[in-house]
Amino acid sequence: MVMAINFDQVGFTYQPNTPFATPGLHDVSFEIPEGKFTAVIGHTGSGKSTMVQHLDGLVLPTTGKVTMGNQVVTAETKLKELNEMRAHIGLVFQFPEAQLFEQTVLKDVMFGPKNFGASEEDAQAAAEAALKKVAISPDLYERSPFELSGGQMRRVAIAGVIAMAPDLLILDEPTAGLDPQGQRELMTLFTDLQKERQITVVLITHQMEYVAQYADHVVVFEHGTVVKSGAPATIFADEEWLHEKQLDVPAAKQFADALAEKGIQLHNVLDIDQLADQLAARLNGEVDHV
Amino acid sequence: MFSNMIIGRYMPGDSWIHRLDARTKLVLSIAFIFVVFFANNVIGYALAGAFTLLAIMMTGLGVGVFLRGLRPLVLLMLITTLLQLFFVQTGDVLVHWAFIKITTDGVINSVIVFVRFMLIIMFSTILTLTTQPLAVADGMESLLKPFKKFGLPVSELALMLSIALRFVPTLMDEAQSIMNAQRARGVRFNEGSLMARIKSFVPLLIPLFVNAIKRAIELGDAMEARGYRGGDQRTKYRVLTWHTRDTIAIIGFVIFTVALIATRWIM
Repeated sequence: MVMAINFDQVGFTYQPNTPFATPGLHDVSFEIPEGKFTAVIGHTGSGKSTMVQHLDGLVLPTTGKVTMGNQVVTAETKLKELNEMRAHIGLVFQFPEAQLFEQTVLKDVMFGPKNFGASEEDAQAAAEAALKKVAISPDLYERSPFELSGGQMRRVAIAGVIAMAPDLLILDEPTAGLDPQGQRELMTLFTDLQKERQITVVLITHQMEYVAQYADHVVVFEHGTVVKSGAPATIFADEEWLHEKQLDVPAAKQFADALAEKGIQLHNVLDIDQLADQLAARLNGEVDHV
Repeated sequence: MFSNMIIGRYMPGDSWIHRLDARTKLVLSIAFIFVVFFANNVIGYALAGAFTLLAIMMTGLGVGVFLRGLRPLVLLMLITTLLQLFFVQTGDVLVHWAFIKITTDGVINSVIVFVRFMLIIMFSTILTLTTQPLAVADGMESLLKPFKKFGLPVSELALMLSIALRFVPTLMDEAQSIMNAQRARGVRFNEGSLMARIKSFVPLLIPLFVNAIKRAIELGDAMEARGYRGGDQRTKYRVLTWHTRDTIAIIGFVIFTVALIATRWIM
C-alpha cells in the first residue's frame, strides 16, 4: 500500500464551539516522503502530537485535508474508512506500556492483528515474530504483562504495534524514560524495520542526535504549524535559527563546529559516526576527501 | 468523548458568584434542592426559575454553557418524566390505549418533575462551574467540622475528596490517551452491538485502573516521605474567609425562600 502523506492547509481546534475551544493546528502543509524515515521536531506544545493523531485518523482536521496514500481525510470522513485506514498504520504512543491489558504477553501482542481481522494462527505467528524482533524471550509469552520490568513492558507494547505489520509506523518519543542502552536498542530496531520492510517511519523526538543519525527528512513544528522541512543537513545548517526556535544542534555537529573555530575544518558532520570517521582519517594523516 | 462534559468542571471567572465563599455556595445549593419543593403552582415555579436564571446571569458565563451541561443528564430526566407520565393513574383519563393510561395528573406531575429536575441541576451547576474543586473540598471540611465530635474523620474525608477531585482531569487525560492507543490497535469504541461495546471498554478500563492504583501508591509514598499527618494541627494554605457578599447571598436566598413559600397561598 502506498503511504505518501500530504497535509494540505490543515487546521484543528480542540473542542470547537465550546468555551474551552483551543486552537491546536493552523495552516499545516507539508509532506512525508514514502518509504523514508521522517523526524518531527519542535518544542513541547508545538502541535507535533496533535499532528500525529491526524495521521491515524484519531482526530479529524477541522479545516483542510490530509492525504494518506489514496485515502483523503477531511472533517467529513466516515468512521468506517478510518478503521480501514488504521489497519495499515502502527502508532506507538508516548509511554506505550500504558496500553497493555491482556492476561498474557502473547495475547496482548495478538490483540492488534486480531482486531484488524487476522485469524488466530496468523495473529499468533505475527505476535511471535514481533516479540522476537523486540527481544522478548519465549518463556515470557505466557506471563502477565504487568509482571514485567518497565523496559520489557515497553518492548511488548511496541511488539503489539509491529505485529500489525504497518506500512506507516509512527513513533511518539518511543524511547522516553529508558536507559541509554535500551534507547539504542529500540532505535536500531526501528531503523532495521524501516529498511527491511521499506515502510514509512515518522519519529517524534526531542533528541537531535536521533534526527541527525537516522532521519532522511525533518519537519519542524512551532506554535501549531510547520515552520520548516527538509533534509537534516539543511535544517541543522542554520544554527541561529535553531536557537531561536529553542532547538538543539546535534552534539556531533556542535563538536565539529567547535573544532572549526580552532581551525580544523570537517565537512558534513551530523552524527557521531561521521565525526569519528573524519577524525580518525585526520589522525591517520589521510586527506579528507568527503 | 470526555471533552464535552460540563458537569463538575470549573470555569474561571471573576463574577460576584465566583467570589462567593465555597461554603455559601455549598449550603445554598443543598438548600435549593429542598426549597424547590415549596413551589406548588405556576407562580412558584416561575419564581424559582427566575431566581435560578438571575444566579446564572450573575456568573457571567452565559446560559448556553448551563444548557449544554444538561445534555449528559437528558436521558435520566426523560426516564423520570416518562415514569411519572405512565404510572400516575389519578385524575381525568386523557389517553387510554391497551395497558397505557395517561391522565391529567400524570401530565402535570411529569411536567413538575421535569422542571424541578432542571432547576436543581442548573443550580448545582452554578456551584461546580464557579468554584474550584479544591475550594469545594475545603468548604465541605469546614462545614463538617462539628461532626468531628461524633468521631467522623472529617479531615481525612476532605483529603480523600480533594485528592479524588485533583485526579479527575488526570484520569480523563489518561483515559483519552489509552483510548487513542487502543483505537490505533483496532478497538472500535461506541460501535456494534451492546455486548461488543461493553467488551470494547475492557482494554480501556484495565490499564486505567492499573495506572490509578500505581499512582495512588506513589502518592501515598510521596506524602509519607514528606511526613504527612492528618488532623487538627494542620494549617491551611487556602483560608476560607467570610465576606459581606456571603451574608448578602444568604439573605437574598432567605428572601427567595420566604417569597416561594408565600406563593403557595397566592393561588
